Amino acid sequence: MLFNSLTFVLFFVTVLILYWSIVSWTLRKNLLVVASYIFYGAWNPPFAALLFSTTAMDFWLGRQIGKAKVRHAKRRWLVASVCMNLSMLGFFKYGNFLLQNFQWLLARIGVIYQPPHLDILLPVGISFYTFHSLSYTLDIYRGVLQPTKSLRDFILAVSFFPQLVAGPIVRAGDFLPQLVHPPRLKANQFLWGLALMTLGLFEKIVLADTMLSGSADRVFGYAGPLVALDSWAGVLAFAGQIFFDFAGYSICAIGAALTLGFHLKDNFRFPYAAIGFSDFWRRWHISLSTFLRDYLYIPLGGNQVRPFRAALNLVIVMFLGGLWHGAAWTFVVWGLLHGSYLVIERVFRILFENKPWAGSPLSRVIAGFATYGAVCIAWVFFRASNFTIANRMLTGMFGGHPHGDMILTTRELLQIGIVTASVIGMHWTMRDDSFETTVMRLPAWAVTAIWSVMALAIIFTQGNSNAFIYFQF
Amino acid sequence: MRSSISNFKERLRLPRLFFRRPSREEQIHGGPPLEFERPIPRAPWRGIAVVVTIVVIAATTAWEFYSRSLGYAPTLNDNEDLWTLRRRAVQPESLVVIGDSRGWYDVDLDEFEKGFGKRPIQLAGGGMCGFPVLEDLAKDENFHGTIVCSFVPRIILAPPGTPPFERGEKVVKRFHSQTPAQWASEYLAMPLEEHIAFLKQEELTLDDYLKKLPIPNRPGALVPPRSPPYFGTEDRERRSRMIEECARPDSELAKRIQQIWIPLFTPPPPPSYIPKDVFMVKIKEGIEKRFADVTAAVAKIRARGGKIVFVRFPHSGGLKELEDRTTPRDRTWDPLLKMTGAPGIYYSDFPDLAGFTCPEWSHLSAGDSVEFTRRLVPHLRAALQM
Repeated sequence: MLFNSLTFVLFFVTVLILYWSIVSWTLRKNLLVVASYIFYGAWNPPFAALLFSTTAMDFWLGRQIGKAKVRHAKRRWLVASVCMNLSMLGFFKYGNFLLQNFQWLLARIGVIYQPPHLDILLPVGISFYTFHSLSYTLDIYRGVLQPTKSLRDFILAVSFFPQLVAGPIVRAGDFLPQLVHPPRLKANQFLWGLALMTLGLFEKIVLADTMLSGSADRVFGYAGPLVALDSWAGVLAFAGQIFFDFAGYSICAIGAALTLGFHLKDNFRFPYAAIGFSDFWRRWHISLSTFLRDYLYIPLGGNQVRPFRAALNLVIVMFLGGLWHGAAWTFVVWGLLHGSYLVIERVFRILFENKPWAGSPLSRVIAGFATYGAVCIAWVFFRASNFTIANRMLTGMFGGHPHGDMILTTRELLQIGIVTASVIGMHWTMRDDSFETTVMRLPAWAVTAIWSVMALAIIFTQGNSNAFIYFQF
Repeated sequence: MRSSISNFKERLRLPRLFFRRPSREEQIHGGPPLEFERPIPRAPWRGIAVVVTIVVIAATTAWEFYSRSLGYAPTLNDNEDLWTLRRRAVQPESLVVIGDSRGWYDVDLDEFEKGFGKRPIQLAGGGMCGFPVLEDLAKDENFHGTIVCSFVPRIILAPPGTPPFERGEKVVKRFHSQTPAQWASEYLAMPLEEHIAFLKQEELTLDDYLKKLPIPNRPGALVPPRSPPYFGTEDRERRSRMIEECARPDSELAKRIQQIWIPLFTPPPPPSYIPKDVFMVKIKEGIEKRFADVTAAVAKIRARGGKIVFVRFPHSGGLKELEDRTTPRDRTWDPLLKMTGAPGIYYSDFPDLAGFTCPEWSHLSAGDSVEFTRRLVPHLRAALQM
């Protein structure tokens, strides 16, 4: 079920009415479990069974880890949980990719092998809910979380519908405490939640789908060479599209959760105003970057090891982060590029951190735009479906096709330019603040006008229920 | 004495304390790091919500009246989900209409029902290549009914990757992968679209208004031609009818659409990145492959006892001249019928079908479509030996 669909409107209104009408907290939690499984099953009902089985297994494994007295016994149960989750992810998401690469490797040594093509349907949101569930056993193993006694609560923590299919990746440890006491209906919180949902849908339907996606699709889908302007415009359009698409989903999720009395953390904090790549990853898909940091980077030694090993750790983490996004080498290159960016940034920091000009406003702005430019170059690999397209795009962007084609209308170029300038300007304006603080500074009439314009733009744009990009991950 | 719950909560809070001291940025952005609760901006939210609701209702109502004043009427949007609903209605012996918008606008379902004794299922669509649908019906082992396939050369021979072919592919893909949520959304959308005029997916939208901005393009820019504006309505059976404003003699709307068809039906120049002779060879190979694929699909259907007839529907004026020049009958229609061995009805071969004029050069008016279908049915029955 998509947030930008009529089915969701009806579903959500029904859930809200029932949820706030019921007095019993137990019944309300049961309602949310049922609603979350309906929400998920509305894509493909059999996959709801898969979701349940993963969750139930992790619940049981979490108890075993909690009960185990000795370290190695705990580790055994944890390994079982990690293997179960990753093999599920591996089969559904990477099955064909692994087979194709195996075939390629055999061909290199002269063995011709034709593997069967597995007709595997990717369960929507599997990358997200696997991580929701995995965080539970990992935290119990680390001794920072006690196993919950309630299977129902754990099911709800994993499958809570606002964040189920496209994040944020909410850790069980952040959600389970909120199930202890029933939230009270607070009008301001409820209405702020609705305002956030409007903002999220506006970002998705109006900005991502209407203003940017068409241009990005045409540029990346064009089979011939393009001039630099069109190539850059396509990449900037995609940079904006993916931000508004994914940040829009996250804001909708946060807003929907608030209307039900739950608090989810920010997943984006004005990422296109990042100064440097470590700053970028503190602002982009925060729930994934912190997940990888806490469960992968720090256990690998983090930065408390020799500089070379720390750099390697970064590259390993970003390599896996890239692969998490999709079963294709283009995603791996995207991740490795970001890993390299982080390593280069560290080197720069060591070399230039103490220079008098390092903290000047001008150097910060230059560093900010350099970060944005490098992030856009990496987006080419994220969006391109193969390396031929990525190569053609990069060649075009750096002037390699001076006599290439021009395929975007002036109107589209203006749209991309205006939206890109606006998003970068707004991110820089708010970069050291919270979104809530910015809203609080506005007069009430301005908030009313902005909310009304966004709601009307959604209605008049209508949209066509395009799926969110991150659903495929 | 401390409760077990507070102890439980305290332990839950440990991860952040244990792993990393919260950075300054996090303290600014994320609220208190150990007891997370989203901040709610202080504002008169109740008053704001009431005013927003009033503004949205008032502006939406005004927009609806404005849309109607422009001549727009409520009608269903033609999308993959509505198509899928009709595709699901196909039975093994159904009578099915497939292909482009001429088969969509020019066929009257009531007249077909009178003539054939069963209600046809409309699966043709605007700018839709009929081949993916034909291929899908051929793969459906249960289907052994009758297919009426509209034939517009530039559309049925459209290669993969072009908009007509993608439209056909999209509907077939949706039919095989429609989720319960998409199915439910269509059922919820239909009553709204039947009563609200401004709910048009391709018009009266922000995107449509942006596209209409008079901004000149760069010289040499390869800009796709525009699509025609609103000129028809559609019901739940996907019966499409031209609106009166377009069907009127000397209709301004019809004249505007005529000028849109010309660039849409004009063959695009060869792409700059492929030598012209190589491109022409590829086009020729593509057409031959399509003929062969259509022939294979037709053979499959006929082997199961199914029937198919191709129909060239009326077209007029400058568009007819353009089509006759760029896709002549002897290089498109004739070879296809010869290869497939299927019967065909070319409207201009029959005096009773030849006298119709399309107001906007491509489709019949709603009234003419009824009369045309009435006259077409006996020819179809003869061609299909029914």
